[in-house]
Amino acid sequence: MDLSRRAVLTSGAALAAAGALPAAAAVAPVAEIALVMNSADASVSVIDMATRREIRREPVLREPHHWTLSPDGRTLLVGDAAGNALFSFDPATGAPLGHQVCADPYQLWISPRGSVLVVAALRLDHIDIYDAAGRTLKKRIAARSMPSHIAFSPDEAMVFVTLQRSGAVMAIDLARLAPVWTQPSGPTPAGIVWHDGRLLVACMGSDHVAEMDPADGRVLRRIVTGKGTHIIAPAPDGDTIYVGNRVGGTLTALDAATLKPRQSFTLSGGPDCIAFAPDGKLWITRRFTTTVAVLDPASGSVEPITVGRSPHGIFLSSVLPAARRDPAAALGTASV
Amino acid sequence: MTDPALAVAGWLQQALLLPLLYRLGAMQWEDLSFGWALFAVYGLVQVAATFAVCMPLEHWRPVERWPDRRAVATDMLYTLVSRVGILPLVTFVGFYQVQVAFTGYLADHGWVPPTLELLVPPLLGHPVAAFVVYAVLLDGAEYWRHLLSHRVRWWWALHSLHHAQRQMTFWSDDRNHLLDDLIAALWFGAIALLIGVPPLQFPMLVLVLRFLESLSHANARVSFGWLGERLLISPRFHRAHHGVWAAGRRSCNYGAILPWWDMIFGTADFAASAVHTGDPSAPEALVSGGYWAQQAGGLRRMAGSRRPAVTQR
Repeated sequence: MDLSRRAVLTSGAALAAAGALPAAAAVAPVAEIALVMNSADASVSVIDMATRREIRREPVLREPHHWTLSPDGRTLLVGDAAGNALFSFDPATGAPLGHQVCADPYQLWISPRGSVLVVAALRLDHIDIYDAAGRTLKKRIAARSMPSHIAFSPDEAMVFVTLQRSGAVMAIDLARLAPVWTQPSGPTPAGIVWHDGRLLVACMGSDHVAEMDPADGRVLRRIVTGKGTHIIAPAPDGDTIYVGNRVGGTLTALDAATLKPRQSFTLSGGPDCIAFAPDGKLWITRRFTTTVAVLDPASGSVEPITVGRSPHGIFLSSVLPAARRDPAAALGTASV
Repeated sequence: MTDPALAVAGWLQQALLLPLLYRLGAMQWEDLSFGWALFAVYGLVQVAATFAVCMPLEHWRPVERWPDRRAVATDMLYTLVSRVGILPLVTFVGFYQVQVAFTGYLADHGWVPPTLELLVPPLLGHPVAAFVVYAVLLDGAEYWRHLLSHRVRWWWALHSLHHAQRQMTFWSDDRNHLLDDLIAALWFGAIALLIGVPPLQFPMLVLVLRFLESLSHANARVSFGWLGERLLISPRFHRAHHGVWAAGRRSCNYGAILPWWDMIFGTADFAASAVHTGDPSAPEALVSGGYWAQQAGGLRRMAGSRRPAVTQR
């Protein structure tokens, strides 16, 4: 691992310095913005949340998928998987701040207390654990099975990564930087969240969410939601957990206390990442369209906003004040 | 405004591909299946646009007239297999794991494949300019691959399938042996490790480039004029490469889109004017056989390529 660590850091630092993008200050801030990663368009859409209009697109290299927020809430890191780069944006304005080399950053997440950055390389089959502050690679863990989504235990002791090809979840001890267990979850696991001392795992090759024991990876129960269960997003009010069903084209609202389905919404276009606006509406990317859907869960109405091709990750700047006070809270409300 | 091709690809993904993958227990490929759907739909648009322009041109100003065009039908099949994405799908399924293992190995040893924009920072943030630079560099790489496919004896035996056609039309561009296509994919993969792959968010630009490649094979008496022929490869320029006298290991005009490489490396022949195309030494199976007969014939010719008789010049 020494070789990879040295090379990644060396090239990353050099290119970050060489390629710093211009003038964050040149972009005037707007009230609240949404940033949408257009995975088939090599761009990030900046949307004015009030007018529901795309203000502009910021180019990246190839294929932006997901994001994570720095602990101080001042930098939004966007992973460009096929471009092998991490792009930094000002989360309040959407202004580009620079970039650095990173091998296949498909999914990325900074731990709740801000110590490590975990990157899942879906294409290259590894999980990288970086020091969050210096972005130095601490450990690369081979995961020959399409590592996909990431969840942390609240105490930051463990990180859990879904492995899509093998239908399993890998638990990694962040102190020892070593896998503790890898257990079957259900076919093609995608989204994963920590909820009430349990792991909830969306099994995209099936129709359910698996509830797993984080201690040993046992599946405790399966909650049927819809075909192609892909994403799990706990609402900030703590009352509801939303589950996107990719094949069924639906969104299921689960009661957060009982995990029983409470309501279902039809949402075609391949529903993916979910972000929660302060007015209670859900902003949902639709992978197989060029739109973000703004869903009002009270009425079920959907308002589309046109963005680039295959929108994936979505960030709403409305979480920022909370993020600057408490990064863990902000991370908990964002899309995974 | 919604891109109609994207809307069709989205429908294809949701209505057909996702349910199929779900049923097959292969949902891990759902991201890639959408990429393939986009490729296939844009490929169909490419074929339709090329047909709409080249077919009238070939009727208006044909270089050759043939009473029987049955041989062209096989070339149409090559085009559909290649551009609508069946061939890329097969290639992808066959080689994805190899590519992942190799790229992962390189990443573990410190080689994170760069992109041109990171190697040349001024290109970052200017995706159209980056695309153009990629197009030029890849066209240069394509020139060398094509030249080598003529010069290396066993490779020419494979590539001669492309030259065997005696009725060259805009459909002939994709008439290649599968092994020749595979070598081209590996060639492209090796270059991608050095400079990355071009940004693919410009389907219209890709469409124009692929159109020019098809047009260069058209059975149409079309020249771009003295200056135009030195900027872009015309049907006249490329027909010289396919001329019967040029078939073999010493040919001319190897370029795909830009004639600059031929001009720089001394292989350009702007004076040549060839009417009849084909490879007189090619077995009849390569000329008028069906798809699989041509594929088998190409392999046989390669196997026999140790004998000097396979080359003409």
